[in-house]
Amino acid sequence: MKFSISRSQFIKTLNDVQRAIASKATIPILTGLKIAVSETGVTLTGSDADISIEATITQSDEKAQLLIEEPGNIVLPARFFGEIVKRLPEDQMTLTVGEGFQTTITSGTSSFNLNGLDANGYPHLPEIDAENKLTLPADILKQIISQTVIAVSNQESRPILTGVHILVKDNQLLAVATDSHRLSQRKLEINNGQGLEYDVIIPGKSLTELSKIITDDLEEVDLRITENQVLFTAGPIKFYSRLLEGNYPDTDRLIPHDATTTIEFNTQKLLASVERASLLSHASQNNVVRLVLDPEAKEGTIYSNSPELGNVQESLAFENLTGEKLDISFNPDYMKDALRSFGPTDIKVAFTSALRPFTLVPSEDEENFIQLITPVRTF
Amino acid sequence: MQKEDLYDQLQALQKAQETQLHQLIGMQDDLAKVLEENSELKIENTHLRARLQELEGANGKDDDTQRLSKSRQNLEKLYEQGFHVCTYMYGSRRENNEPCAFCLDVIYGQHQL
Repeated sequence: MKFSISRSQFIKTLNDVQRAIASKATIPILTGLKIAVSETGVTLTGSDADISIEATITQSDEKAQLLIEEPGNIVLPARFFGEIVKRLPEDQMTLTVGEGFQTTITSGTSSFNLNGLDANGYPHLPEIDAENKLTLPADILKQIISQTVIAVSNQESRPILTGVHILVKDNQLLAVATDSHRLSQRKLEINNGQGLEYDVIIPGKSLTELSKIITDDLEEVDLRITENQVLFTAGPIKFYSRLLEGNYPDTDRLIPHDATTTIEFNTQKLLASVERASLLSHASQNNVVRLVLDPEAKEGTIYSNSPELGNVQESLAFENLTGEKLDISFNPDYMKDALRSFGPTDIKVAFTSALRPFTLVPSEDEENFIQLITPVRTF
Repeated sequence: MQKEDLYDQLQALQKAQETQLHQLIGMQDDLAKVLEENSELKIENTHLRARLQELEGANGKDDDTQRLSKSRQNLEKLYEQGFHVCTYMYGSRRENNEPCAFCLDVIYGQHQL
């Protein structure tokens, strides 16, 4: 096997693939990077058994200046190979595999010899030959991911909640995540669903990695789902992830439909206020801030106190406060995450009582995006 | 002479300690009894209040807790004591008084128990 390639282009692809490679792996060969050279292109593969990423550089890509002399396969230690490639002197590099998986990497006057591994020992990637695919605009997929993964649980004690629940039905995609303290739900109309129906849970970690390889120049991402794997195709990159097994809790019933107190805020202003209040709440043992809304007096005030440090009180800027008087406490960190996910816009907050979860929705689009926060009891 | 003095002192000290120990045990028992009585009175009190409410009937105010059924009130009490009452984590501790949306749904939700 022998090929030469432009190093800058190769490094870009290598970086994408290396996201899947862990420094420690249960199967030693998974710490390696698989390089497969065919007549038409070079395919790099990295995997940690949960996530696998495969990226192909084709000969038709002019920037890559790929020149294939002899096809073949090899597995190289990913970390060292990556470091070596990044530090080579010239822009063009050549990789040659000789007898006994001895691999020579040359660039300019520099020449490295690396011991490779037999590529036949590398696990096969899951075969996903599903005909049906869902095509999503890349920027919207990235947005959905960033809006939902904030609510994913990081506690392994409840594995099912470490994923995002994806439900596709009736030309609608629903993404929900909750760690039982807060919940985030995003809806999206899809016009190329062709009557597809899916009900899967994708690990939050996989989605976070996926959103890092979705670059701004990409337009669309294809989604293929099988029983226990999902495949995202983003341009030349194929991203495989394991699905979580089990039933996701029924989250529909968590979302209250009627409200006794509603109020509207500008996210940036409220975020700044909550951030100020959380300065003191972080110092106290129970990290909570208190919000008091009085529709009659047209007042909204946020309080926080730390017995050792002191306390803070701030009148909030708001619009359209209606309903009953309310006194509620919550964790400001959940509020901050939720507010950031909306971006700079106006939101409507709806409370049912001081004991029940409250919801945040964008004022202009109340249907498609909802954040829910569970209050903390204080007595 | 000095040695005997020391021995006497030790013995006196031992006696004092023994009485103190007895006192301590006695106080502990008393405290346990008081606590027991206290919780009994608490339960009795809630029962009496419930009875009073029953007698007053619809005259009473209709706030959030009063609308809850007995079983839901029990769940609410458990939740307030720091335990999960949701189907997913029933009985496990709520770390750092973390709120749980599933528990609140079980306690206050619209569905029938």
